[in-house]
Amino acid sequence: MAVVEEFAPPAPTAADPASALRMKAVLGALLALCFLVLPLLRPGEFILSLATTLLITAIATTSLHLIVRLGSVSLAHGAFMGLGSYAAVLSAMKLGLPFPLALIVSFLVPAALGLAVGPVLLRLSGKYFVLVTFLMGEIIRLIFVSWQSLTGGSNGIFGIPYPYKAFASHTVFYYFTFVLAALCIGLVARVLQSEIGRTMDAIREDSRLAQCSGIPVLRTKVAIFTLSCGLVGISGALFAYFVRYIDPTSFSITQSLNFVVMNVVGGMYQLAGPIVGTVFFVILPEFLRGYVDFQRIIFGICLVVVMAALPGGIVGLIARLRLLSNKVMGENP
Amino acid sequence: MFSPVILGQVLINGISLSAIYILVSLGFTLLFGIMRVVNFAHGSLAMLGGYALFFLYTQYHVPYAIAVPLAALVVATLSLVLERMVYRWFYQKMFQSMIGLIGLDMALYSTAAIIWGPNERSIPSPVSGIYHLGPLFLSSSKLVIIFTAAATLLAFFAFTHLTRQGLAMRAAAQDVETAELQGIHTDRIYILAFFIAIFMAALAGGLYAQNYTLSPFMGERPLMMAFVAVILGGMGSIPGVALGGIILGMTESFVGTYFGSTTSTFVTFGAVILILIVRPWGLLGTPEAS
Repeated sequence: MAVVEEFAPPAPTAADPASALRMKAVLGALLALCFLVLPLLRPGEFILSLATTLLITAIATTSLHLIVRLGSVSLAHGAFMGLGSYAAVLSAMKLGLPFPLALIVSFLVPAALGLAVGPVLLRLSGKYFVLVTFLMGEIIRLIFVSWQSLTGGSNGIFGIPYPYKAFASHTVFYYFTFVLAALCIGLVARVLQSEIGRTMDAIREDSRLAQCSGIPVLRTKVAIFTLSCGLVGISGALFAYFVRYIDPTSFSITQSLNFVVMNVVGGMYQLAGPIVGTVFFVILPEFLRGYVDFQRIIFGICLVVVMAALPGGIVGLIARLRLLSNKVMGENP
Repeated sequence: MFSPVILGQVLINGISLSAIYILVSLGFTLLFGIMRVVNFAHGSLAMLGGYALFFLYTQYHVPYAIAVPLAALVVATLSLVLERMVYRWFYQKMFQSMIGLIGLDMALYSTAAIIWGPNERSIPSPVSGIYHLGPLFLSSSKLVIIFTAAATLLAFFAFTHLTRQGLAMRAAAQDVETAELQGIHTDRIYILAFFIAIFMAALAGGLYAQNYTLSPFMGERPLMMAFVAVILGGMGSIPGVALGGIILGMTESFVGTYFGSTTSTFVTFGAVILILIVRPWGLLGTPEAS
């Protein structure tokens, strides 16, 4: 398969996998700690809502990372996020489900769709998968727009009530998001670190060889795809209760592309990639406030440059620089 | 509702839509067939064609018959810069090209939105009036579109089948390495194919903008339609694109007229997903040896 050879990741750089793992765990814990103490610094509402957005987006991008690690890119992830949003909000507002149940529904609905279409979609090779998910995302968005009696059509659903009074406080909602994000991203990290993670790498490298080695390729792909769709649904529910307004434009192809951009520019071969990409692309626009119009141009150019010259993204660049400095220092990497 | 007059009208609309779709997707499939580049920026280049026609025809009052090919020529020539700076990185790299060119697409339409503003404009039709052909009403602007597209497609066909360069291009589309072994300068063929592809996209963009509306974001629909037509027909297959474009234009015209445009989008996209599942290589394509 042609996609695979283009997709070949750089060889792992760490000589000792155990120490690399420890290093990653420490970095992750440090990052989590930063987020944990952030509200104690009394940062003001703006920074706090920025951090909340960052966490919500990080759930979505890391969930997409699962699919990327399988060697495909889904352009329907924004739509699946919307599915989670609408599922949570509608089940809470129309069916009167309590909030925790609505959250579970926001996981189950997109996951169920992923499970239903997965066995068919994941048979397709690289480019066809991208194109079909592109069309499917568009169909889902059209359903949001045209099913007016349920979704409110293009006007969307506004005035989503706080499930608990405490959520009116930014800090409380921030911590709630933090806990969910830590759980979701932790789950992704755990999956990637496990036997399944290595299975995924094998599938990406050469799915036929993996098949011959006794790996149930399609079943693994479908399971991972389903998990990924469910997780992005949770980020959708959080988004809905954070902004308290949803409409189809939030879940269009632009949103899906944003997730892809963050994954690709951050780095496609390590979990750190989408996290770095998310931080980069959620915070960068705030520095470019005066130049809102230029944002998407910069996004676009970043994508071109990364795909042309730095296939490992920012994380890959850092790894390469470290390798280079090791060489210069005369150490044996 | 299904009276012959309306049916005839729907047929004419379908033909003009098909013509535009074939023009857009022909370039798309050419880039894919020869360079293995999935050109996500195709719609934006079509959009540039629309603006070029707008400025040449409405601002500088170039006669329409000259403005249409000239606009496409200008865009195709300028896009050679993009070929040099961007596309060349992505030749024969399908996956990277897909993501990288999504980036180029974003950069192009956002730049256009800054320069020309996000609001929609319209390009007036050079001819107005309606011909009666039996019970049919033929709007002359539709006829212009059909004529222009047909002439371009004929010229393209003549070029690929009657000239040595065209032969070389078809050879490269079939198998780049073997073509190189036969002494074909593939790097020249790349530039030539790129130029032709963008020329057709820009031309279609002009016609599309005149038929519908001109805005920096107008490229999305032609791009999507190019995808669909190309998938339907089989990626990289030139006759497949013609078939795909016709099926698509006709479906959109018929289903759109009788059941509304949302239904028509559902039907076409749904049909394409089904086809991809059963026959991923499209109606006239050949399965890839994997």
